[in-house]
Amino acid sequence: MDAFSMGLVAAMGALATVAGASEDIESDVGSQSNPNSQVQLAAQVGNPHRIYNKAISGEPPANALWCATAAMVAYTLITAFQMPALMALVAGASVAALFNGVFSMSAYFGRNSSQARFNQWVYLDIVRYTTPSIMAHAWITSFCIATISYIMVYMLPTPHPFPMPIIALIWGLAVGAIGSSVGDIHYGGEREFQNRQFGCGLNTMLSGQIVRKAEAGLRNSIDNAWFCTKFGGPATGMGFGLTVFLDNWRTTVFDPVTQASYAILMGVFFIIVEVAYNFYIERSARRKYGAYPEYKGDIAA
Amino acid sequence: MNFDAYTIVYILEILVGGLLVGIGVHFVPVGGAPAAMAQAAGIGTGTVQLAAGSGLTGLLAAGLMMSVTDNIWIILASGAVGAGIMIGSTMLTGSWIYAYAVGAPFASAKVNYDPITGFSQPPYVAPGTVGQGIPTICFVSGLIGGMMGGLGGAMIYYPLYLINGNAALSAMFAIGIFLVNAVIASWNIQGTIEGFHDPKFKKWPFAFRACAIASILLALASVLITGGA
Repeated sequence: MDAFSMGLVAAMGALATVAGASEDIESDVGSQSNPNSQVQLAAQVGNPHRIYNKAISGEPPANALWCATAAMVAYTLITAFQMPALMALVAGASVAALFNGVFSMSAYFGRNSSQARFNQWVYLDIVRYTTPSIMAHAWITSFCIATISYIMVYMLPTPHPFPMPIIALIWGLAVGAIGSSVGDIHYGGEREFQNRQFGCGLNTMLSGQIVRKAEAGLRNSIDNAWFCTKFGGPATGMGFGLTVFLDNWRTTVFDPVTQASYAILMGVFFIIVEVAYNFYIERSARRKYGAYPEYKGDIAA
Repeated sequence: MNFDAYTIVYILEILVGGLLVGIGVHFVPVGGAPAAMAQAAGIGTGTVQLAAGSGLTGLLAAGLMMSVTDNIWIILASGAVGAGIMIGSTMLTGSWIYAYAVGAPFASAKVNYDPITGFSQPPYVAPGTVGQGIPTICFVSGLIGGMMGGLGGAMIYYPLYLINGNAALSAMFAIGIFLVNAVIASWNIQGTIEGFHDPKFKKWPFAFRACAIASILLALASVLITGGA
């Protein structure tokens, strides 16, 4: 281990944190993934809304597509056209963002026009000022992940044997899985349903009754992004940053050739710390919030 | 190519890897869309997506290890630990959101007492939901599942790399075989599962048989490809 490679691992962790945060905000501005089931349902239960609706696919395959596209374009420009790496990565991310814009707009038009019978409109102003915001976040995500892949393949002391696009595909799948497991809960569990009692999950009876009014006027997806940036996005960034940083830290500090078993033991140690931390959160949440007052003795689960 | 004893060993390794992925998916506590609304216990995403996210992170770790050593135990352990770190970080940061943003205590509606911590569950299940958050039993089950996925991915990658010596080709095949087995297992789960304490977990023999057939077919196809790309 030397100072340069440690700095690279730190840079990868920072890039991953930014990528995770922007991935989650992208899915919140566009309303993708699991919470979008409620946005989709809202019009059908009589609540037409002005929230963007683009469930292109699950977040992991969608982000795998953006990141692999960015890395593939960058890899081609670097190897075949000898372009400087930074410019190639910027160009790759721009192509990925264009792909994202096309998919987002077709998803919005398709989904909302198919709900015309439920009185759901296609709002052109929403398309005009929300789509660029979605594309911008997709640009940040794919740029960061393509850069991480570039560092892993060309700059780390133990270069990764996989080519850049495959590494970007795998990290894109991982960032999508983390964004949809972490940040989406803040959007789906809290922001969409601020009209119900705080401190519990969504009662099944309230499905589709999403909040449609904002602090001023009608709520749109930019308002949702403003809210989710406060916690859901950064938490997703922490999740992905921890994954990339801890996974690469242990193979950089301990040489994989001579100290492989130390690297594995260090990974096991990280996992045990995570179990303990989760247990601490569980115990403190139970102690502070207490049982639900509606509980009336043991019921069949 | 020569069809010899080594080829049979390679096929068996891919088969075991595929089965590990298929069974590992049953351990991962996925609540699907309901969990994203804190309506069900577990992680708020789909089965395949989370299993693929963690298992393929393990594949990255295993691929790096395989480029510097040919000791199979170190490669497999590296894959399992890489996947474990990813799924552990995901569940941990997910717990932050459940505890500090949704403000709900963690509870499972599938058991009355957490088998590991002994905490009572029904009083902490919010009305109109089937639990929320990631209790310790789900966390441990998820770690086992994620690590089995990483182990399986590494076990598929190892023989493929020995056959064709091309990291990119082997990785793409490993991703494909991984996803086939994860999808078969998620059909068996039908949406949501909380982990090995969930009654649905008892259905794993069905997935075991289906994954065995699929893995054998995929293994036969993939060992024949010895180069190219």
